[in-house]
Amino acid sequence: MPTLESTQADLNQEPEGLPDFSSEAYKDAYSRINAIVIEGEQEAHDNYIAIGTLLPDQAEELARLARMELKHMKGFTACGANLGVSADMDFAREFFSPLRNNFQAALAEGKVVTCLLIQALLIEAFAIAAYHIYIPVADPFARKITEGVVKDEYTHLNYGQEWLKANFEASRAELEEANRVNLPHVRRMLERVAADAAELRMEKEDLIEDFLIAYQEALTEIGFSSRDIARMAAAALIG
Amino acid sequence: MFGLIGHSTSFASARHLAERLGYPEYAAGDLDMWSSAPPQLVERFSVESLTGRRIEGAYIDSVFVPEMLRRFKTAKRKVLNAMELAQKSGIDSSALGGFTSIIFEDMNLLKEQQVRATTLEWERFTTGNTHTAWVICRQVEANAPLLGIDLAKATVAVVGATGDIGSAVCQWLSRRTGVAELLLVARKPQPLLDLQASLGCGRILPLEEALPQADVVVWVASMPESLSIDVANLRKPCLMVDGGYPKNLDSKAAAEGVHVLKGGIVEFYTDIDWQVVALAADMARPQRQMFACFAEAMLLDFEEHHTNFSWGRNNITLAAMDWIGAASLRHGFQAVGLETVVHLSRSTAGLARH
Repeated sequence: MPTLESTQADLNQEPEGLPDFSSEAYKDAYSRINAIVIEGEQEAHDNYIAIGTLLPDQAEELARLARMELKHMKGFTACGANLGVSADMDFAREFFSPLRNNFQAALAEGKVVTCLLIQALLIEAFAIAAYHIYIPVADPFARKITEGVVKDEYTHLNYGQEWLKANFEASRAELEEANRVNLPHVRRMLERVAADAAELRMEKEDLIEDFLIAYQEALTEIGFSSRDIARMAAAALIG
Repeated sequence: MFGLIGHSTSFASARHLAERLGYPEYAAGDLDMWSSAPPQLVERFSVESLTGRRIEGAYIDSVFVPEMLRRFKTAKRKVLNAMELAQKSGIDSSALGGFTSIIFEDMNLLKEQQVRATTLEWERFTTGNTHTAWVICRQVEANAPLLGIDLAKATVAVVGATGDIGSAVCQWLSRRTGVAELLLVARKPQPLLDLQASLGCGRILPLEEALPQADVVVWVASMPESLSIDVANLRKPCLMVDGGYPKNLDSKAAAEGVHVLKGGIVEFYTDIDWQVVALAADMARPQRQMFACFAEAMLLDFEEHHTNFSWGRNNITLAAMDWIGAASLRHGFQAVGLETVVHLSRSTAGLARH
């Protein structure tokens, strides 16, 4: 067994500082990461409007959430412009396509639980994790914008969480199925973006754990037991 | 509510535990998978003190394993995330068990109070080191005489003397127990000189010179794998209190006349209805034995004394040890003694159990 003594040197190491925001490698990676964020906010807007069609009595609140996402999108577009980077939107649209297709299929079938799981839990938890990890390594301009955004994203996660909690027993089976189908996509999305994220000093391991913490917290609030949750979360860790 | 933040003793045992608890995906996962897995609140239980007071507790597995020590960012994240989970779960006093308090101290996690949207409230956490130090001192005082060692005439070596637990043990042994001679062993010279000055006694010696002179050795440093002890040169009888983490002294100092006692372990007066803790902890009587640091979180909750009672390095006072010691006895804990250890070492050696 390793002991602390034998790893003392490792423990005392401090992580490296901020990346070089002006390097070509950074900008190249940023063109994809920034695009993902912009596209993610745009799709979040569209998804909340769409969920409003399934929950007409909530449409007003959902429209309010959707407007916040558009504001975020504009903020992140400014972050790219600030670094002189043009976002690779084609990459981003393709990146989101598995979740988008699943969301659209669920929408067409009127499956509001699946729609909420994809948008309000998975995508929001993904965003919260990524923004938290990005903030300490972001350029000062993007840092300020992202700090503002992350607070809003908790509101969105909370929205989905509260609705599903209120309808837990009726939603349970569909949530488990939607988790099984969609969580591996999140895992693959994280894998795909890992190299670019590393260029921004964001590590895949941190992203996965932070995503799961936010997601598990939501599942706990909704009413799942810790045993259920550990099992559901495993789909993001393996595959 | 009290909390215990712990981890498995090795990656192999963590996977084994996952298998037994019915989490096959985790049992099959590799170290990378475990490195990305978030902490889990795996069990809740309730405990009743000898005084009749009942409190609720929870065990949080940090999903850290010692193999992650080489991945320092991972280790740091595991500890902070487990602490955040404890706080968010509404736990008033959580003990940082095993490597988690060592990581907290050595990586200076005091600087990392902000974990995502959560500001960690330090008063909800304790290293449990005050109770551990008190228990180790009690173990020396109670068990040395059983071996015919008169502490008033004995030489006691404290290995890891300048650490948080070590310095408290030195204070107690010199001022309360009154041992004949204290040998101070640690890696860094300056803290040793400072300790010696504050104690007003004690002889600084390298490990290899201290061991052959000691009737009692209190080990409160983690032991390098490469270290070997020349048991032939040890005094007989010799009481060795293994208060370090992990506890591996019994395999290094096994010899006739050398009595190794698991240090800093306490036994509750009655069984506790916990399953995961019993499986995760490597204890002779897992339903009632536990690390003294864990018991400290219980004691703080029994006493409704929700403060970061043991915190930082070398802040433990004799008054604090008195207080936690009195609470320990009042609520039904006692330090594990030599009888258990004789029993343990016999079973380890493959001899018949008695």
